[in-house]
Amino acid sequence: MSTTTPAHRLATHGLRLGYGADVVVDGVDLALPGGAVTAVVGPNACGKSTLLRGMARLLAPAAGTVTLDGEDIHRMPARTLARRLGLLPQQATAPEGITVEALVRLGRYPHQRMLTPWSAADQAAVEEALERTGTAALRDRPVDELSGGQRQRAWIALALAQDTPLLLLDEPTTFLDLRHQLDVLDLVEELNAEAGRTVVMVLHDLGQAARYADHLVVMCDGRPAAAGPPADVLTAELVEKVFRVECRVVPDPETGAPLVVPRARSRRRTATAATAATPTS
Amino acid sequence: MTPATDPATTAPAPRTRPAPRTGAIARQRRRTALLATATVALLVVLTAIGLGTGEVDVPPPDALRALVGLGDAGNVMLIQELRAPRVLAALAAGAGLAVAGALLQRVARNPLASPDVVGVTGGASLGATAVIASGAPAALTSPAALGGGLLAALLLGLLAWRGGFTVNRIVLVGLAVQSGLAAAVNLLIVRFPAELASSALQWTTGSVYGRTWAEVGTGGTAVLVGLALALAGHRSLAVLDLGDDPAGALGLAPRAARLRLLLLAVVLASVAAALSGPVGFVALAVPHIVRRLAGPPTAGTLALTALTGAALLLGADLLVLHVLPVRGLPVGVLTATLGAPWLLVLMLRQIKPTPGSAPR
Repeated sequence: MSTTTPAHRLATHGLRLGYGADVVVDGVDLALPGGAVTAVVGPNACGKSTLLRGMARLLAPAAGTVTLDGEDIHRMPARTLARRLGLLPQQATAPEGITVEALVRLGRYPHQRMLTPWSAADQAAVEEALERTGTAALRDRPVDELSGGQRQRAWIALALAQDTPLLLLDEPTTFLDLRHQLDVLDLVEELNAEAGRTVVMVLHDLGQAARYADHLVVMCDGRPAAAGPPADVLTAELVEKVFRVECRVVPDPETGAPLVVPRARSRRRTATAATAATPTS
Repeated sequence: MTPATDPATTAPAPRTRPAPRTGAIARQRRRTALLATATVALLVVLTAIGLGTGEVDVPPPDALRALVGLGDAGNVMLIQELRAPRVLAALAAGAGLAVAGALLQRVARNPLASPDVVGVTGGASLGATAVIASGAPAALTSPAALGGGLLAALLLGLLAWRGGFTVNRIVLVGLAVQSGLAAAVNLLIVRFPAELASSALQWTTGSVYGRTWAEVGTGGTAVLVGLALALAGHRSLAVLDLGDDPAGALGLAPRAARLRLLLLAVVLASVAAALSGPVGFVALAVPHIVRRLAGPPTAGTLALTALTGAALLLGADLLVLHVLPVRGLPVGVLTATLGAPWLLVLMLRQIKPTPGSAPR
């Protein structure tokens, strides 16, 4: 799907990541499509976030490499990489008292040289990021006084101000209510559709992952258990194997994307079993 | 490299003045500029008083003129040779200490960090005391203080490195280094001839008495260079404030940046200690005062921190010199007396724990 421009394709080759002696991710070979939205899902402690940190060069691989359009990211200058790849970290804490705008301005760091002043392009990128995340009205408010959803959007704005063709998001919807979750995911879709950005995000909700992602990576015990388009990947057998949850996979009535419906575990709640059993899974 | 469709790059004619003229950032900038102007005015007044007051009083305006070699030859001699080095030493040391404190507090993410907490003060005292107590030429005192401060920093670096250079480890190891070095200072003072030891003890309380032009020239230049480096590195400092992962994602290597900034702080503090001895309180308090007055840290408030530190130390020195009834009191005694309750208040207020650094 991508042959014309540089596709901003991330790939891992025999990647092993860990903290000290404990290996969290091992032997991962992945090729993520460029210009598409990839969701990484998996049970807790399966190495999703670690994989993302490795792909953003926040963690040096114990073995293997991560490449961006074929180039080893560990051989690229840090700022060069930061102009191509941005990251929304999980649960970041803003410095005390910093305003939303001051926070978002820091996203321009990789584009600035040591003594060059703040430029019109910098300001334009900040305005754009504030606008897109709906935080323009909050620009003068201290980040530590905002609600969880507003704070998350301010951090996303920082990553957007970085203006990278490739964006990694580590659990962008955690701690958000349903509406704000959907706002964030719609924004992801928009960024991908309008600017052709490549987005890689870690999600917990399989339904959202299937609905918003073009490509799905299911992690299990530090390795990808499956990868591909959600419709191909998300089967009842896989979910059972990876999450140890018995379920049925039905088409999402809204979009037709695969929707995982866990089987009722207590007998008391299976009253509708007879009627529901008609469309065989 | 950026997608051509990105509105950020295809935005219509860029404005000539990119910075917003309203809003919190502009407001803070104006406020900082105003405070800086006021502090510079205060510095001029304090300098004039410092140069003019003494055994022979010279009217402050004449004193300022005499500083640049104009007016009465006797005044010029008195002020250029005797009073100016002391005043300039206070200014440079105050600025250096304050900026060192601001850098340490931010890098260590601890509002209580200051050169006395990371062992630099103890190291500088040890170096200077060794020179004074052994009767070596007085000109060696300042270089020895600088060397001692750097030695303490090296010890801290080596001992804290293994724990991954975490914030808590820096503070704990720093305290240990500080007490070890302070013990060594005491040992020297007890072991050496009384009159030498007493002048060494005098040094360790912190004073700008009897500085020479040579010391002030090199020390002042070093402080200015350090200050320029701190301002030039301010963007890195701001990015580092976000935490290790966000900083890394923005293309800053957090450990290397932390080490670089810590080293800069240590050099500044050591240079300041070489000029003034280990004057307490300035490095700890000035960043807090500036934050209260000017808001969250920016490059502008860092410059304001330098000015405020200079004003505070010079003001304190003038107080001990001309106002307090006890003659010959080292300025360090005054600042330490003010500093103890201040530290206590800060510790009592710091109930909420420091936020964790990088998420796993």
